[in-house]
Amino acid sequence: MLKRINTILSIVFVFSLMLSCSEESNPEFDIQTFTTIFDNNKFDASFFPIEMRQTADGGYIVLGGRKLDDSNFTGIYLLKADKFGNFVKEIEVEETSVNPVAKLTEYQTKYYFFCMDPLTQQAQIANVDANLEAVTITPVQGGLTYPAAASFVDNSFILLGYNNGDKQTVISIVNPDGGILSSKGYSIGTGEDIEEPIIKHYIRTGRQYPFEVGKVSSNLYFFNGFFNYTFSLVFTDMTSDDPVGVVQGQQADGGFSALTPLGGNKFASSRFNFGENFLIPNKELSTSGITSTVDLGGYSLPELVPNANVRILRAKIDTENVLIYGSDTKSKQIGLLFYEEATGTFISSRYLGFSNPFEIASLTQTSDEGLAVCGTTYVAGRFPRICIFKLSKEQLASNLNK
Amino acid sequence: MLCFVVALAASGQEKKRKPSAYNQQKQNKEDEKFLEKQWWLGFKAGPNLSKAHVVKTYSIIAPTNYEASTIGKKYDNFNLVGAQATIEVSFYFKRFLFSFQPTYQNSRFAYSNSFVWSSESDLTNRVELNFEQEQKLDHAILPLIIKYDIYGNRLRPYVQLGAYSAILINATKSVTSSGIDNAAGGENVFQNEPIIVGAKDLFAKSYWGLLGGLGVNYNLGNNVRLNLDIMYKYGMSNISSTENRYGSDRLSGVGDAMDDLTLDNLSVSIGCLFPMRFLSSGFKSLDH
Repeated sequence: MLKRINTILSIVFVFSLMLSCSEESNPEFDIQTFTTIFDNNKFDASFFPIEMRQTADGGYIVLGGRKLDDSNFTGIYLLKADKFGNFVKEIEVEETSVNPVAKLTEYQTKYYFFCMDPLTQQAQIANVDANLEAVTITPVQGGLTYPAAASFVDNSFILLGYNNGDKQTVISIVNPDGGILSSKGYSIGTGEDIEEPIIKHYIRTGRQYPFEVGKVSSNLYFFNGFFNYTFSLVFTDMTSDDPVGVVQGQQADGGFSALTPLGGNKFASSRFNFGENFLIPNKELSTSGITSTVDLGGYSLPELVPNANVRILRAKIDTENVLIYGSDTKSKQIGLLFYEEATGTFISSRYLGFSNPFEIASLTQTSDEGLAVCGTTYVAGRFPRICIFKLSKEQLASNLNK
Repeated sequence: MLCFVVALAASGQEKKRKPSAYNQQKQNKEDEKFLEKQWWLGFKAGPNLSKAHVVKTYSIIAPTNYEASTIGKKYDNFNLVGAQATIEVSFYFKRFLFSFQPTYQNSRFAYSNSFVWSSESDLTNRVELNFEQEQKLDHAILPLIIKYDIYGNRLRPYVQLGAYSAILINATKSVTSSGIDNAAGGENVFQNEPIIVGAKDLFAKSYWGLLGGLGVNYNLGNNVRLNLDIMYKYGMSNISSTENRYGSDRLSGVGDAMDDLTLDNLSVSIGCLFPMRFLSSGFKSLDH
């Protein structure tokens, strides 16, 4: 009898233990990991993200583009999601401003980006608050046109634009009010042919070129754009008429597809060359003289689509400095490739998305040490919509094999 | 079949019994006392139907210009038949049975949702997509039950109450998408191949609930009782994994994320019970 009582008590004990292990709703999990696709039920609507930033409230603000019925240029679309990935608000900015360009920059509680006037192609600087209450758009002084890329250094913007009158790529320092502090133009070459891929880039009927601009050191700036008939990485002090250094691509068919300075002359980069893609996680580039991207080698990735979009994020995962490359795979997923920043050694990979096509737009390390990936998905296989993948700190750590 | 074999064996044993006339009255009293307690062992099986209660809804798709309710999941309750098989170990004491009934339970439930994209300027530009999502869950159910025999004779109806814990063994999800595409120049009605994925990670490793029901035992007269059991299990905790809700890229890609759910289950089982304590070597056990 005693044995039977013991058996019953054991069953009751195990039973009680199981009850205590039941799954509880946990809002923290909902913040750490989610996937959201922001859908619009209009058949003709088309939205794509350009860049995403996490806001102070843990939510996300997405700068995107949208198809316009009455313009060849891309309209401006802003979207706010909360920290759970839920839709909060959207703004379809009036068509008097078009062609939004990255980077979306937080400065004094506002988020800044550049765009342009569709009639004059004059560059404009825009800002919006974190809750998308109001968008303010101001013309950039000095007649800068066709903004292509921007970055923010030392409380000023570095803006890359194109002057189609002089056929020049123009790099400028712009303050947050739209005033120009300095500017320098470099010829793309002469002839109609050289301008064609640039114009097609702006009206999105051709290849989207990975224009970049930034600063390497106190007097050394760089831009990734057209120079001297070639899509090149150009180093300039913004005073000399000639660049300090050029890493040439292959006319419009080769060059850098992404670039992130790592300090000194070291860069994490990727390059494209007649459709092929190469990742170069840690390489010292010559910032003077003329060199060629073809000589840089790199890891060839045939899994990526030809001339793939690439985004590079410097991230810290469990105290380790890691480079996360995001790109588009031939299987229509977003591929994330993890490399050690110090050595460029490959660590692991992760793939996001399935069933419908997915394309990369932006990588952001979040305040909870996770990763937010913003991209375009084609809902029902056809409607371009913005999506966000949020990965937790633990998921990222698993990519370090920890 | 197992019940039948057990019944035959018990019946065969019973034929060897030789009732004694010695001190019959005293023996009857001892028998009655003996019969106040009994251990029962049995087996039962049958079909079940499930119902999902949504605690909190989740969706991959976040509408920006229309109401989320228009793409909400519609649960199809008590519609898909599952099955369960149970081993019953019960202790009888003065009309009360204290029962432990480990059960293998396969339960199924489904939900559907649909999306429409249309053009205001061209009415032929319209696409409708419908998703049917079916979940198949295998759980080990560990219930503790108290039964009460309403009256005791050859036919013994009873009521039962208890609680249970469920341990996830396996889970699969299948998603079938179909739709109507009017944008291709005509009405194109299509149905895609179902996506079937192992979904164990998407569900909680365990959950618990309360149960109640009624049933009836019929004494065959050879120590074996036939049992008809109807049980309603009321889920009390979430069956979805809160941590791995977005763990399946294949399902996220088509816009599916599991809601926080509790699961109710209505089961009907038929089986048999036979006693573990006997009055004599002749396997006399109970009233008959």
